[in-house]
Amino acid sequence: MNQILIDLALELGKLIAIAIVVLVFMLVAVLYLVLKLRWVIARIQSRLGPNRTGPWGVAQTVADALKLFQKEDIIPKGADKWLFTIAPALVFIPSYLVYVVIPFGAGLTAQSLNVGVMYISAISSISVIGIIVGGWASNNKWSLLGAFRGASQLISYEVPIILALVVPVLVNGSLDLNIIVENQAGGFWHWNLFTGFPMLQLAFLMLVIAGFAEINVTPFDIMEAESELVAGFNTEYSGMKFALFFLAEFAESFTLAAIITTLFLGGYQPPLHILGGQLTGIAFSAVSLFWFMAKCWVLVVFIMWVRSTLPRVRVDQLMNLSWKALIPTGLVNLLLTGAYVVFWMHK
Amino acid sequence: MSTILNDIKNSFVSIIKGLKVTAVNWSVLRPCVTELYPEQKPQLPEAYRGMPTLPVRPETGRSDCIACGACARMCPEQIITVEVDKTDPKDRKPAKFTIDISRCMFCGLCMEVCPKGCLKPARTFELACLSREGMIYDLEKLNKLGGELPPLPEPDDEKSSSNK
Repeated sequence: MNQILIDLALELGKLIAIAIVVLVFMLVAVLYLVLKLRWVIARIQSRLGPNRTGPWGVAQTVADALKLFQKEDIIPKGADKWLFTIAPALVFIPSYLVYVVIPFGAGLTAQSLNVGVMYISAISSISVIGIIVGGWASNNKWSLLGAFRGASQLISYEVPIILALVVPVLVNGSLDLNIIVENQAGGFWHWNLFTGFPMLQLAFLMLVIAGFAEINVTPFDIMEAESELVAGFNTEYSGMKFALFFLAEFAESFTLAAIITTLFLGGYQPPLHILGGQLTGIAFSAVSLFWFMAKCWVLVVFIMWVRSTLPRVRVDQLMNLSWKALIPTGLVNLLLTGAYVVFWMHK
Repeated sequence: MSTILNDIKNSFVSIIKGLKVTAVNWSVLRPCVTELYPEQKPQLPEAYRGMPTLPVRPETGRSDCIACGACARMCPEQIITVEVDKTDPKDRKPAKFTIDISRCMFCGLCMEVCPKGCLKPARTFELACLSREGMIYDLEKLNKLGGELPPLPEPDDEKSSSNK
């Protein structure tokens, strides 16, 4: 009996430690991403970006976060207080829970599930509820309209995302992200992106396009349409509640980069065997963590590059792209992939 | 069908063109144009015209001002006050000369109307201070800001052109 209790306590302690580590990683990553975004956009516009607070401006986002901490938390008159308070959590918690299954390195997964891809797509769709609730509880027409637009966008683009996620899953024969990554071991020509022409490349493109819409960056930032609606669903939010929305948004952009890396770019595998493939144990874990972060960093910078280039689409163009272009393409691609897996793929 | 394929092709081509433009901006081909102000002072143009000051004539140790009050009458904002020092009737000089820069609109009329040409524009623009009193520049401050005039040219005949 005592042994069982001790085991339980140990297990719980391990879980809490992992949760705290993941949360701290997420906060640090988001602070860095906001800073990097401001630097990249500034550089593209021939400016310098933040360079005053701390050395090279690295403390800028920390200062912003502290400012948000001490801002007054305003709840509008006539708002539904409970829903208004819960909405940021409903958006933030799913984007945090997604990090559970992401393999950051060899043996560096918080909890390896055998339905990892499905878990990601299921969990990340919860945030739609948070957005609707946030818009509804604000007691503000514009917030409500923004929430409806955001929800329609997110729901429309979940279908192509899942149609794109299924393709590497079919080819690898597993929903477990760790197994998908292990199947891509070896050089970079073993990665999913460079095999199975043209289905996997098409799925990669679809995942990138639909993922941009899912994390609300331009050209699909209809949700934050500050030119048409005031600021979308989070118009009435201030202080820490707004910070949670903001945090969730940037955490999702890292999540998208992590998912694309895991499914198409070989996850934590080094691009050449000579660059750390011969290591084992903790050394390989460290090297694989480095490679995973490097790939994610490149993808995130690519996202920022696109974000600072393209203009915003209209809401009807957004819907047309999803329902008339991406979903039929995805379905045809799925059929092709099935045929490829059954008839041609050497097992 | 062919139009759809063309649309797809054109959209990708246009996206790649746009990305190319931003990438060129991102690269070393487009250097950053930001001026790091407190460390880097801006390059003022040759004809920069700042606030009016009273530069000091090095031969006499004070400005050429004769306290005629033309500038005070000309000023559209009525911010210049001049009082004559009556101690020496041969030598007119201002006892009090203040300019309230907080309301100055830098029109330059005072400098134009000055018969001695002694009001000169300063090459400064950092006029911020912590109180309204600090914006009122008296004779001493105006002399200090104006610096020193270049020495007079040697008179070649009795009609020297010193007040140009």
